Amino acid sequence: MKAVVYILAILFLVGCKMPDDGPDSRLALIKTTNPEPIQIEKDGASVEGIRNEVNQVDEIYDAAVIKGDHNTLVAYKVRHLDRFRMKSIEKELKKHLEGKYKDETFVVSSDYKIFLEAVRLREDIDSGKINDKQADKRLHQLIRLKKERT
Amino acid sequence: MANNNEKKTPAQQQYDKMNQKHEIKRPVLKNCLRAFFVGGLICIIGQAITYFYIYFFNFTEQTAGNPTVATVIFLSMLLTGFGVYDHLGQYAGAGSAVPVSGFGNAVISAAIEHRTEGFVLGVGGNMFKLAGSVILFGVFSAFVVALIKTILIQWGGL
Repeated sequence: MKAVVYILAILFLVGCKMPDDGPDSRLALIKTTNPEPIQIEKDGASVEGIRNEVNQVDEIYDAAVIKGDHNTLVAYKVRHLDRFRMKSIEKELKKHLEGKYKDETFVVSSDYKIFLEAVRLREDIDSGKINDKQADKRLHQLIRLKKERT
Repeated sequence: MANNNEKKTPAQQQYDKMNQKHEIKRPVLKNCLRAFFVGGLICIIGQAITYFYIYFFNFTEQTAGNPTVATVIFLSMLLTGFGVYDHLGQYAGAGSAVPVSGFGNAVISAAIEHRTEGFVLGVGGNMFKLAGSVILFGVFSAFVVALIKTILIQWGGL
């Protein structure tokens, strides 16, 4: 019986491996990160401009922008007391960005997970772990994750 | 209350007075503070578990809710079985009963209480004696809220 408990405990602890995160993504959930925007698709609007637009919104304090082949993902964090109106902030931001950049398709999200994954993607690109094609694939996975409901 | 007093005999009224004099007052404020802090602590643990699922697994803020609830219920069930949650309940009152962990406690404490009556009619039949009402009224109020929301969206144009 004791052996079974030990084996289960070891298997459980082996499963708890820390992901290979960089300094930014390790603390991305709890502190302001302001990651550099990612421009996978080089044509069209500049990601810097999009990020500045997002940062100008009073309720938002941290934003990550990824521009892919078809979609531009904007992940951001909302100030704590403004989180009560998260849905309307998301709607207003999407409307504002689509009005300003008419050729772009925006996917906006205030989800911490999407923000964290955007920071991880930035770090993987910086360290040369993935190329543009793989980065675009990761972006599509992120957009799919954002749309998940259950 | 006045009507009740009028119906009472003088001896009963005298007894009530004596009772009021000797009754120990409930420390309402102290109980509220304990409930607030212990309930808050349970919620902090829940938030930490949510972050754990977001950080280490492929859950978003929206989808991390379900495994978090399951984990908190499972932990409170274990603590009830070990006899720890009873002490917490005695100390914090509603602070330990109102969060979802109170649901796990209600299920397991009923199961422990009736295990001498056998597994089927004892544990199986009485497990949801307390928690059954939580499920019933939870499902019913969710239905009513969903109905109101649907009506507001369909007709109110929200």
